[in-house]
Amino acid sequence: MTSFHEILLRSKEGPLVEEKAFDMSLFKKTQELQKKYDIHYDTEKPLDLDGTMADRLFQAGIELYLDQGTYCSTTHRVIKVSEEELFDAIEACPEEIELGQGDDRVRMVHRNVEGDQEPIVVAGIQTAPFSDEEMMFKIYEGCAGDRCIDGIWGGILLKIDGRYEVVAGTPSEIYQYRKTVEVLRKAVAAAGRPGMITINNAPTCSATIAMFDEQRGLRRSDYMESTGMSEMKVAYDDLNRSAFALAHGVPIHGTHSSVIGGFSGNPEGAAITAVAASLGLVTVHKAVCFRCGTVDARIKSRVTRKQLWVAGTAIQALNRSTRLIVDGTIGDHPAAGPGTKQYLYESAAGHIVSTVMGAHSTEGTRKFVVGTTCNYGTPLESRWMGEVCKAAVGMDLRTADRIVGYLLDKYENSLTNAPAGETYEKLYDMKTNAPLPHYQRLYDEVKKELKELGLDLQ
Amino acid sequence: MSRSQESEQLLADLKQAILDYAEDQAEEITRKIIEAKIDPLQVMNQTIADASRELGDKFESGEIFLPHLVMAGDAMARVSELLESTLETGSIEQMGVKTIVIGTVQSDVHSIGKDIVAMLLKANGFKTVDLGVDVPCEDFVRQAKTQAADVIALSSLLTTTMPFQREVIQILEAMEERGNYKVLVGGGPVTGGWAEEIRADGYGKDAVEAVETAKRLTGVQS
Repeated sequence: MTSFHEILLRSKEGPLVEEKAFDMSLFKKTQELQKKYDIHYDTEKPLDLDGTMADRLFQAGIELYLDQGTYCSTTHRVIKVSEEELFDAIEACPEEIELGQGDDRVRMVHRNVEGDQEPIVVAGIQTAPFSDEEMMFKIYEGCAGDRCIDGIWGGILLKIDGRYEVVAGTPSEIYQYRKTVEVLRKAVAAAGRPGMITINNAPTCSATIAMFDEQRGLRRSDYMESTGMSEMKVAYDDLNRSAFALAHGVPIHGTHSSVIGGFSGNPEGAAITAVAASLGLVTVHKAVCFRCGTVDARIKSRVTRKQLWVAGTAIQALNRSTRLIVDGTIGDHPAAGPGTKQYLYESAAGHIVSTVMGAHSTEGTRKFVVGTTCNYGTPLESRWMGEVCKAAVGMDLRTADRIVGYLLDKYENSLTNAPAGETYEKLYDMKTNAPLPHYQRLYDEVKKELKELGLDLQ
Repeated sequence: MSRSQESEQLLADLKQAILDYAEDQAEEITRKIIEAKIDPLQVMNQTIADASRELGDKFESGEIFLPHLVMAGDAMARVSELLESTLETGSIEQMGVKTIVIGTVQSDVHSIGKDIVAMLLKANGFKTVDLGVDVPCEDFVRQAKTQAADVIALSSLLTTTMPFQREVIQILEAMEERGNYKVLVGGGPVTGGWAEEIRADGYGKDAVEAVETAKRLTGVQS
């Protein structure tokens, strides 16, 4: 397998290319490859039911990655690998890894399309701002208490001592992210799950590294996020994270989003890029599991019809053709806010597609745009994510397609004017840390609705 | 064909060449436009403005994508360059071309949203200087001065990098340059309230609104 050091060498000695030329080349190639491999997006079919197109999509992704490579935005060089090196990297990836500790340890395994392997669910209000330690502790303790969740994503306390601003790339970022993860660890312990997976990712590598501490912070049994920049790019700050994780013995979880309407162009192009970029995460970032995703350049939700097809088919392609551990998490960032039926519909659609296509869901819960609004979420959205993912295990594609079609009808026309929802304070009883009756009723209504549709919710 | 009809045909052909992303063809037609002594202001304010609007609408409806904006932007930049070369020094102001320095702030490497805004601005006739991502605050100010910019546009996708938008404004104030530039802010976590708090001149909740705000701030007709 091509070593990490060899990858670094290529990032310094590979072909020097202008970023714009790389971007435009990506567009040209994705448009060519969709014709060559007969990749078609059909607006009437959110899921590819027979998988034959997914197999062609995998081949197109391979060809794109070998042709295009990964662009290093720090050095303006293209990191390329040979076909043999690419397949060696895929082969070298484990089919399963263990995460967490003690009674909270879980196995994250390669999942098949329609597979019955348990998906790992890392919930929590991902990377969102919190008003104070007490509130953060309370919300995360509530999230961790649900047994259908395997791990928790952290957020950020916006002010140090309620007064000093946290600014990325400055000492305040290191101090506060470290503080945040300590609160997170205390919260999961208080929920009776001290070995639970805890994840957080700061804007800079130095602050992310500062969160690792076996006693009070992130541990080797958690994972390190190493993000690929959209589209098919990497910066040294990301590779610094990989370098630390490799040296420290932490599993690397890669993430990348292709962009519908971006340099991938149409949904077909974005699907090819989603596959190719995933291969880049394995080869360049040295990820042992990774998120294969997409965003829409125009709509602030991750579960538009196009996104469900792009991410779903890309995950399907990877899982049919490899034994890699794929994370989908399509339902992590709905347009609607917490406390609304639309949030639950959007979240369910994405997580059903992820799970049925053979992915795990490890990117938490959060409205797509939270801004600086603090405490913008509750443990109930985490429970929903966990319940839906576990209930969709073993579901066949046709059933998933039918349920997702129903859900799309519910929210599709409200994505650009989605309801904002409410913060924790308006949705939960602060003393008991339980949902207020109106929110619980809304949750139960949607749960009943989906059970009647055939989702095996407990 | 009368002279007036010939002129109209040339302008229509130019618009179509831009909409076809045909940079070479746009250049060739522009040379004919210059030979025909058609007013460059008319070309900029009508033909290119019309093409820009159409491109913006097509992008918004999902009919075309970011690469198309790049190609159309390149064609329009070439046309503008040729038209400018026919004018005397300093006459660029007469053409109403406004300059925007744009980038993603320090410690933030998110590029796609900023790229889309930059391309839409270019497609709407702005001279757009894209500084890239992770841009130090001082570089925005330095480049704005060098480029004689009208607007500084600051993108931030993280709550912890939003303070750098304020820092650029504070540097401008400290240098007593604040009045020389309009400051436009945007990005995922950025809100109108934040823009007001840091005394920015404008805010765009998405790419289309950012362009509309830039036009309003610079007095460019929509």
